Amino acid sequence: MKNYKFFLILSLPIIYHLLSTISFAQNFTSPNYQIQFGNFNMTSGKKNSSSYTLTDTVGQNAPGKYSSTGYTAKAGFQYIYDTLEKFSFSISDLDLPFGSLTPNVGSTQSNIITITTPSGHGYEILAIANHPLLANDNTIPDTSCDNNDCNKTTSAPWTLPTAYGFGFNALGINTSGVVTNIGTSNYFTDSTYYRPFSSQSAGDLPQVFMSENIPVKEHLAKITYKINISHDQASGTYSNNINLIAIPKY
Amino acid sequence: MFNLSLSPPQIEFVLKPGISLTQAYQVTNNSQQSIILNTEVLPFVPQGDNGSVSYSSLLANPNISFSLNNADLKLGQPFTLSPKESRQLVLKIKASPQTELADYYSTFFIYQTVDTSANDRNISQSTGKIGSHVLLSVSTSEFPQTNGQVKKFITTPKIKDVFFTKINFSIQIQNKTNYFFKSLGKITIFKNEKIIKQLNLNSQNVLANHNRSLLCENQTACTLSPPLWPGKYTATLEFNSNLNVPSSSTSFFVLPLSPIALILLISSLIYFLYWTKKKNIPNKV
Repeated sequence: MKNYKFFLILSLPIIYHLLSTISFAQNFTSPNYQIQFGNFNMTSGKKNSSSYTLTDTVGQNAPGKYSSTGYTAKAGFQYIYDTLEKFSFSISDLDLPFGSLTPNVGSTQSNIITITTPSGHGYEILAIANHPLLANDNTIPDTSCDNNDCNKTTSAPWTLPTAYGFGFNALGINTSGVVTNIGTSNYFTDSTYYRPFSSQSAGDLPQVFMSENIPVKEHLAKITYKINISHDQASGTYSNNINLIAIPKY
Repeated sequence: MFNLSLSPPQIEFVLKPGISLTQAYQVTNNSQQSIILNTEVLPFVPQGDNGSVSYSSLLANPNISFSLNNADLKLGQPFTLSPKESRQLVLKIKASPQTELADYYSTFFIYQTVDTSANDRNISQSTGKIGSHVLLSVSTSEFPQTNGQVKKFITTPKIKDVFFTKINFSIQIQNKTNYFFKSLGKITIFKNEKIIKQLNLNSQNVLANHNRSLLCENQTACTLSPPLWPGKYTATLEFNSNLNVPSSSTSFFVLPLSPIALILLISSLIYFLYWTKKKNIPNKV
């Protein structure tokens, strides 16, 4: 019995050698060139199973395409499959009805934005108003916060009932609504920080209020819009449009 | 509600002057409500060194023209997407024969039209806009020549303990040409001329005549984790040879600070105990 076991163990490497097959990777050589890896695959596209998704590419270099058509995709066409997660952007509530405003009492409205970016891309979300809150020729001015220290690119605390104007705050939140400040921490320290919108009517450019350098899936932020008017504010129905713009990082 | 998807998020083409090309985009209304949308293309310039952009209509180049190839839709013409509906928009890009050989950067935007209906209450309305970047290199060559330089390659800290805290590599590269390139390269870390680790750089676009801070693979910070043997380490940053970016090196030192501190602490403790014990022994007469 002992001899039989010994013989079996000894024969295992020989059996393995006889049954195994030799594999070759793609490796093309000539006296003038060697290609160790390239686009010699037989298929391309998106492969799915319950546990993974994979993309590959074929014929990336498309020999002669540039000379015949006059253009070529700089990064091949693998980027076309950069869409396992599409670039998506949503805004929960478009209408922000402030109703009747009471002097010296801040009135707020809010909505939730959600951003998803494909692999390889971070994102930026920018905001711009078409004009300040406007009723006939009267405007509710932009907030300058408690100490006149916020502007269209920099936020500052705004809590005083005697600090008037219109502005916004944005804070990253998780799906439970808990503040994480992910994506917004560079722009707003906490919920007391506000800044005014840039304005098309003033010739401003949209300004970033949320950004990340990495791909993200369903990152949320709560935007709070705040108005505080003085007793001197002319009565009227004030309105404007806030454009929220999502772009990928290049 | 505004809820749109746009694909692809970015396109990158090299084209000859006088050539036009088309690119199909898929826009999807993910919401339960119909939405009225419109399209526009705005030129941008890179801002900062982390992939941010800045828009200005003044930047538009008359030699690069954009239009939609859809039979029933023009650029700037409103269209409606029903709930959950997708639509293909075919963007045609044409570089006139007079186009200067250089890069041109724009964003193809899909935006929600403003509801101008009168209302009798104080109201702000939000509208959404989503964009996809268009990076064009107008060149007579399929592979425009590029070159650049490493603006920053530093490690922090310069001196570190064998344990605790990572070594961080900060990299900034400058593109000195009129054509963007991708940051293909690696950081190799040596100790006594032996390779300790290689970190592949993330392939990021470095736009023409601009700087870009670089990350490592999977868009993570470039770091070297402890524990590390004491000694002098050298990190070399190299880029693919066709980018024509000279390599750069930096050094850092790893010292056994925490083991020395521990030995000193134990020695002090032993000495203190010995001294205390000696003090408590009554002097023999």
